[in-house]
Amino acid sequence: MKKVFQIALGVIAAIGGFVDIGELVFNVQAGAQFGYLLLWCVVVGVIGIGVYAEMCGRVAAIAGRPVFDVVRTRMGFGTALVTLIASQVVNLMTLAAEVGGVALILQLLLNVDYALLVVLAFMVFLLMMWFVPFGGLERIFGYGGLGLLVFVVAALHLHPNWDDVAYGFVPHWRNSALYAYFIVGVIGAALVPYEVYFFSSGAIEEKWTKKDLGLNRANAILGFGLGGLLSVALIMTSAQVFRGLNVEPKFLGTAAMTAEHTLGQTGLLIALAGMFFAVGGAAVEVCLSGGYSLAQFLGWEWGKYRRPREAPRFYFAWIVFLGLAFVVVATGIDPVDLTEYAVVFSVLALPLTYLPILLVARDRTFMGDHANGKIGGFLGWLYLVIIFVIAVAAIPLLLATNGGG
Amino acid sequence: MAEDRMDLSYRVLDDQLVDVDGRRCGRVDDLEIDGDVGGPAYLSSILSGSGTWPQRMPRRLRRLGVRIFGKAVVGRNLIRVPWSQVEDIDTAITLRAPARELGLAQGDDHLAPLIERLPKS
Repeated sequence: MKKVFQIALGVIAAIGGFVDIGELVFNVQAGAQFGYLLLWCVVVGVIGIGVYAEMCGRVAAIAGRPVFDVVRTRMGFGTALVTLIASQVVNLMTLAAEVGGVALILQLLLNVDYALLVVLAFMVFLLMMWFVPFGGLERIFGYGGLGLLVFVVAALHLHPNWDDVAYGFVPHWRNSALYAYFIVGVIGAALVPYEVYFFSSGAIEEKWTKKDLGLNRANAILGFGLGGLLSVALIMTSAQVFRGLNVEPKFLGTAAMTAEHTLGQTGLLIALAGMFFAVGGAAVEVCLSGGYSLAQFLGWEWGKYRRPREAPRFYFAWIVFLGLAFVVVATGIDPVDLTEYAVVFSVLALPLTYLPILLVARDRTFMGDHANGKIGGFLGWLYLVIIFVIAVAAIPLLLATNGGG
Repeated sequence: MAEDRMDLSYRVLDDQLVDVDGRRCGRVDDLEIDGDVGGPAYLSSILSGSGTWPQRMPRRLRRLGVRIFGKAVVGRNLIRVPWSQVEDIDTAITLRAPARELGLAQGDDHLAPLIERLPKS
């Protein structure tokens, strides 16, 4: 019974932790531009992140290897170095976007100067990440992010035309570069690479073993799957409120407006609070992922389960990473624009990250009986192809559509 | 592959080094093989540290690698761990001595006094 309860808590945190600024930007715009038509991309993205998170959680639990250990040992020094640089650039852009996003959300709640809130947000993250243990961070932000469930309530409250919704879940093509750009964006927002860095390192932080494979599966499939519902709700509410109004929601607050439109002031407050925790949680995850990746590549001691004095370079690395993100935000760049670039560029780093995970997850030398089965293997290779296609298309589409604008 | 053989690039190269106290202390950045020409060759040491990295890069980029990562200085950015210090080869390479004795994880040891001054460190 205790085990079931533990698994349920993990799943709840995974649901709340699923959505980040990438979904808030891409899905809301996708709904406004194309109605329900891109809902199928959420399904594609959610299955993909579920499959790969499950694999790297399993590799961490059985072989004790986190993602960048696997990248380094399977791809060799040169390719692993290129992967490290690419993923750290994307991590930095994402971190800056998330922290800038938190400041934007706080501005809507508190009506205080943005620059001041940026400084405040950085101080709060620094102190929380230093003092609060790993499990605490996961729970605070994961549970808080459940506020986003208000979008599910709003989507149902607006009485959608279910025939249209169902049609949106059927993959179909439109001859438009903008449509293709949003396919890349919505799938890419679900597949951001830091999620797998964090998920696998988290498995080692929490000392997962063979006994935790059930928890791993529940988190990856149920947690991320249900988290995908929030992602669907963002597209649906935006489609219902903004579609046909010729509105291009370029502000983060627009997402929350759909909740206000439906459920009034209370809806708005719950939505903003949910967004604050979801985006804040993502900031913590990306920041730690920056430290994890570097430390694992170089073989340093790492982990929040170690005290700072036991893993000084790891702690120093994520603090420097947070500082660099502050510099990026301080240039005054718009977090929403930065999010778009971060998601599109992260798609480029995906094949280099996912291939080694797949290679180790199927390797019986390290995984024994827990190596990929037929279904896992098939989905793994299928998604590698999908990722490769969207990686090739990402930059040309970004240029052709002028960043979706 | 026969059971008494081991593919070094698959099982050892690039792997995590863990010392006798369970502390992560670098990676197997390169391997050193000794012996005379025509005679038997044997694996003498694990090399760890940024001094080895230029050699791991494509030939054309090695000069650039030296500029970025610096020249190899044995004992500082290139640590030689005798193969006899290896206790076990599993998903990590476990060593028989503490990292400090082997000259590994010096970066952590240098940074530790600074971090220790902070609260709750």
